[in-house]
Amino acid sequence: MSQSYNRGLIEDFSRWREFEAGMWAWIFHKFTGWVLIGYLFTHIAVLSTAIPAANGATMMFQGSETDVFTGTIVSLEGLLLVRILEVGLLAVAVFHMLNGTRLLLVDLGIGLEAQDKSFYASLILTGAITVASVPTFIAGAF
Amino acid sequence: MAERYSSFKSGGRMWLLQRVTAAFLLVVLAFHFFLLHFVHHADEVTLAASSARMEQLSYYSLMVLFLVTATFHGVNGVYNALINQGLTGTKRTVVKWTLVAASVVLLFQGIRTANAWAGGFPL
Amino acid sequence: MSTQTPTQTEESSETDAEADAPSKGDERRDEKRRRAAEERARRQAEEAEKAAADEETVELKVFRYDPEVEGKQEPRFDTFHVPFTKGMTVLDALMYSRDTYDSSLTFRHSCRQAVCGSDAMFVNGGQKLACKTQISELEEPIRVEPLPHAEVRKDLVVDMEHFYDQMEAVEPYFQTNEYPDGELEEQRQTRENREKIKMSTRCIWCSACMSSCNIAAGDNEYLGPAAINKAYRFAMDEREGEDIKQKRLEIIEQEHGVWRCQTQFSCTEVCPKDIPLTEHIQELKREAVKNNLKFW
Repeated sequence: MSQSYNRGLIEDFSRWREFEAGMWAWIFHKFTGWVLIGYLFTHIAVLSTAIPAANGATMMFQGSETDVFTGTIVSLEGLLLVRILEVGLLAVAVFHMLNGTRLLLVDLGIGLEAQDKSFYASLILTGAITVASVPTFIAGAF
Repeated sequence: MAERYSSFKSGGRMWLLQRVTAAFLLVVLAFHFFLLHFVHHADEVTLAASSARMEQLSYYSLMVLFLVTATFHGVNGVYNALINQGLTGTKRTVVKWTLVAASVVLLFQGIRTANAWAGGFPL
Repeated sequence: MSTQTPTQTEESSETDAEADAPSKGDERRDEKRRRAAEERARRQAEEAEKAAADEETVELKVFRYDPEVEGKQEPRFDTFHVPFTKGMTVLDALMYSRDTYDSSLTFRHSCRQAVCGSDAMFVNGGQKLACKTQISELEEPIRVEPLPHAEVRKDLVVDMEHFYDQMEAVEPYFQTNEYPDGELEEQRQTRENREKIKMSTRCIWCSACMSSCNIAAGDNEYLGPAAINKAYRFAMDEREGEDIKQKRLEIIEQEHGVWRCQTQFSCTEVCPKDIPLTEHIQELKREAVKNNLKFW
């Protein structure tokens, strides 16, 4: 036969307004998943400062000799940006966990008719938990 | 039929493992966040406190298991996302082994760190 | 091999070419064609006037593409104004447009009652069966496009070959090696079992689900919702017996079988026959896991 026309991905990105709950849930789950695995790598990298610290490596922190692990963590936590990123991380993790619970239920065949409602519930709950945790996460940063 | 036993096709086994690790991580990640942000505050971390926790065998093994399952769940998730997008052939093999290598590095470094805190394997 | 009626401009150039060696018959045919064209133009103008005068018209924006006609090789949208009548479906509006304005407008349709599955299209950003989509429920202008994630052959017609391949991969027909005792005995199904597979038997192979599936779009090897639902229809049918069920599970538990489903529910949302596709796929996943967890 003759040629045909491949419309490519136009409908994937241009039609986001028409996405249904399940599609948004998938997009958010994937995005938060990428963030979390990225964080896991940086997390281990930062915590690795415990290895030289255990061997006695020190650094100057706030005018006194501190081990490199404690010094690194506490100085990072002193930055407002890090604190804000941590709140973001909490939001990402909480959503991934709540929506993950939703997906586990879907895998077990429970509540498939309410899958859109359970997505909205996980969004709202994520918001609530994040807002409620802000004081704890920001405490002492100023 | 009789000779079929535990013969998971790769797809099915990974699918199940992804769910099992998910259920485990759900509990442990919640615990981890709660312990290190709400019980102890992140800005009050010290090497001594971390060491004290890690010297307990139960905490040490939980954290190592946490690392292993999280690495599997995350890396397998990334791999699946790429397969879903139609990754095939040589590219797929390359990506697969790159991810495996990254996981090994992560696990190695993570366990080294845990051992540094605990002062060797806590027995 | 185009069967398309030539457009106005092409028609006149054809007439010029034929004027070089005119025979009596040619002249007569030319005359007839000319009159038909005049008649058509008159009717079109009349209809357009009527449509414009009529307050209740709907505006349709229809995707047009034809690799064999110059000027349509670059896809575009054509606008048609169609007088609204109560109960009008998108298919009705398309047929009106084709019959009144442009006879080259191409789309598949047959039964007009959501049974044949020929006229799945992308209407206002969703996979719909044109014959069961009411105009009154749509926002104007109504955008009608061919199904996404499939090659467009012409206008609203897409290539269904890949979809049919996936359907055939699951062997979509009844098989069994367990027969009742008496030679003339019927193969009975319990009422419960019939209820279990009832929804899955409703599939009309329209491919709306396949088109809506984000994973099927990326992973070409993925069986897709329709094919998995078809596998479910037979795997869950107890009359097929245990051996055939094993065979069916082996097909769907391949890497590009059920495991690729990400439970986005897109297929379930668009299915014109309301088949709970995601539910069926999930049940097959559990069935496959259980099947493989038998250690004894």
